[in-house]
Amino acid sequence: MTFFLWTSIFSQNEIAFGYSKSQMMAYVFSVLIISTFVIAAPSNDNIGGEISNGDLSNYLLKPVNYLKYWLTRDWASKLLNMMFAVGEIGILFIIFRPQLSFTSSPVLLLLGVIACILASLIYYLITKLAVMVSFWMPENTWGLMFLFLVFFEILSGTLFPLDVLPSWGLNLLQFTPFPYMVYFPIEILIGKFGVIETMRILLFSLAWLVVSYFWVNKMWKAGLKTYSAAGR
Amino acid sequence: MPDVPALLAMPAMPIISVSKLKKYYKVHQKEPGLGGSIRSLFHRKYYDVKAVDGVSFTIEEGELIGFIGPNGAGKTTTLKVLSGLLYPTSGDVSVLGYTPWDRKPAFQKQFSLVMGQKNQLWWDLPAIESFILNKEIYEVPDDKYKKTLDELVDLLEVKDILKIQVRKLSLGQRMKMELIAALIHSPKILFLDEPTIGLDVVMQKKMRDFIKEYNKHYNATVILTSHYMDDVKELCKRVIIIDKGKILFDGALDEIIKKFANHKLLTVVFSKKVDQKDLKSIGQVKEFDFPKAVISVKRASASLAAAELLQNFPVADLNIEEAQIEDIIREVFTGRDLA
Repeated sequence: MTFFLWTSIFSQNEIAFGYSKSQMMAYVFSVLIISTFVIAAPSNDNIGGEISNGDLSNYLLKPVNYLKYWLTRDWASKLLNMMFAVGEIGILFIIFRPQLSFTSSPVLLLLGVIACILASLIYYLITKLAVMVSFWMPENTWGLMFLFLVFFEILSGTLFPLDVLPSWGLNLLQFTPFPYMVYFPIEILIGKFGVIETMRILLFSLAWLVVSYFWVNKMWKAGLKTYSAAGR
Repeated sequence: MPDVPALLAMPAMPIISVSKLKKYYKVHQKEPGLGGSIRSLFHRKYYDVKAVDGVSFTIEEGELIGFIGPNGAGKTTTLKVLSGLLYPTSGDVSVLGYTPWDRKPAFQKQFSLVMGQKNQLWWDLPAIESFILNKEIYEVPDDKYKKTLDELVDLLEVKDILKIQVRKLSLGQRMKMELIAALIHSPKILFLDEPTIGLDVVMQKKMRDFIKEYNKHYNATVILTSHYMDDVKELCKRVIIIDKGKILFDGALDEIIKKFANHKLLTVVFSKKVDQKDLKSIGQVKEFDFPKAVISVKRASASLAAAELLQNFPVADLNIEEAQIEDIIREVFTGRDLA
C-alpha cells in the first residue's frame, strides 16, 4: 500500500520531501526488510507469560542468562524470517520492478549494517522493559506492548521517512530512541548521510544501547526480588 | 579405620544451614466482579502471608530428609529459597557454602530442583533433546554425560522411550524423564517437591526405590516434600514437620511417636456381645464394629487398661499398638490433643 501511495505522489513530482522516486522506493523496501530483522521477536510474546506463570523458574535454576537466552532465540527466528522475507521481497521486486538507489560506498554500507544490528539490540532491550512489567502486574504486558508499538510505528519511521515531518519534529525525535531503530539505519543505507554524520548517529545508537541495557539490568534485578516463582 | 579420630575431632560442615529464615508474601484481596476490580485499583488492602516464619535447621551431606506439612505450610517456599528462586524476607541461608539467591553458576551446577507439577522438558521434542541441552548448559563432558545417562536410563528402565516426543509420554514416563533431566549433571543436592504426585502406586514405589538408590549410590543429599506419608516413611530417617511457616518437629521419624503420641491404641476382638457404653470406662472408643473395637488410652496407663479389659470383658484377642504415624501427624496439624 505504501508502495502505491508513494508511486502516485511521485507521478506528480520528480522529487518529494527531498527524496527522488528511487530513493523513496529504496526506503519502502528497506522498511520491509529491516522490520523483519529488527522487530520480529518471539521473546516479546513469551517472556511476560513465563514470568507470570512461573516457567521462568526453570531458567533461574540453571547456569543460564535468561535474557541472553531469549536474545539468541530471537536471532534464530530472525534468521528464519529473513530467509522468507528475501523470497517474498524478491517476488515483489520482480512484479513492480522499482528503481532503487542505495549508497555506493562500501564503508557506508558496512556502517549501515552495523546501525541495523544496533537497532535490533536496542529494540530487544526496550521491549524487554515493557515485558518485564509482568513481575509486578502479571499478564498485563499485552496492553503496554500495544501502546509501545503504536508509538514505534509512527516515531521510528516505519510508516514514512521521518524527514517528511517538519524539521523541529525530527530534531526532537533525535533525542528519543525511536529513529535509531528504523529511520536512521535505512537513511544510512540509501546514502543520505556522509561518513561523519553516520558516525554521529552510530554514537547516539550506542548511547541508547548502553542506557537501555542499564535499565533492563536494573529492572531485571528488581523484578527477581519480587518474583514469587508461582506455579502451585 | 585410622581416620575415625580425625573425623570425630572435626565434625563435618553442614551442607545446608538455614537460620531464622522468613519469607513473607505481600498479597492483596480483590472483591469479586468488575466493581471490585475498579475499587481495588484505588484502594488496596495489602497483608502479609507468612509463608515461612523463622525456620532454622542444618543438614549434613548424604542425608535424606523428608519435609512434611499440609498444603500452604511453607515447604515449597523453603525449597524455592534454598534453590535461589526466591529472596527471603530475612534470615541466613547457606547451601554448599553459597548464598542461593546470588545464583552463582558454580552453585547452580551442584544442585537440582524437581517439582512434580512443573516440567522443564521441551514438550514437542523427544526427552533426549532436552538432556543434550542440559548437558550443554551444565557443561558436562561427553564421556561423563554418556556414563550418567546410561546409568539413569538403566535404573529407570526408559531406554525405549528416549526418542519419543515428550507430549506423547504418560505422566509416569514423563516424571522419569524429568528426573533424568534434573540429574544429568550429577547434582550433590537434590530438592524434590512432590516427586510422586499423581503417580499410581506401582510408579510411586519405583520412584521411591530410585530416590533411595540415588541417595546411596552417589552420597547425594536429598530433601523431599510429600503429601504421601509412605514416601517419607520408606525413605527418610529424619523428618522436618512444618506448618504455618514454623517447624513443629525436626528429628528421627520414630521420635515423632514418642513426642506426640501420648496415647496407645488397644484393638480388641470380643467373643460375646458387649455394650459400647461400658467400654468408656477404659478409654475413648475410636471405632466400634462388633466384634472389633479400637480404644485409645493414655500411654502410661496402657497396660493397666489392657488388664482391666481382660478382666471385665469377654476378650478373644487383644493388641496394643502405637498410633499410626499418619494419625499422629494429622492430629499435630489440626492442633487437637490426640485422644
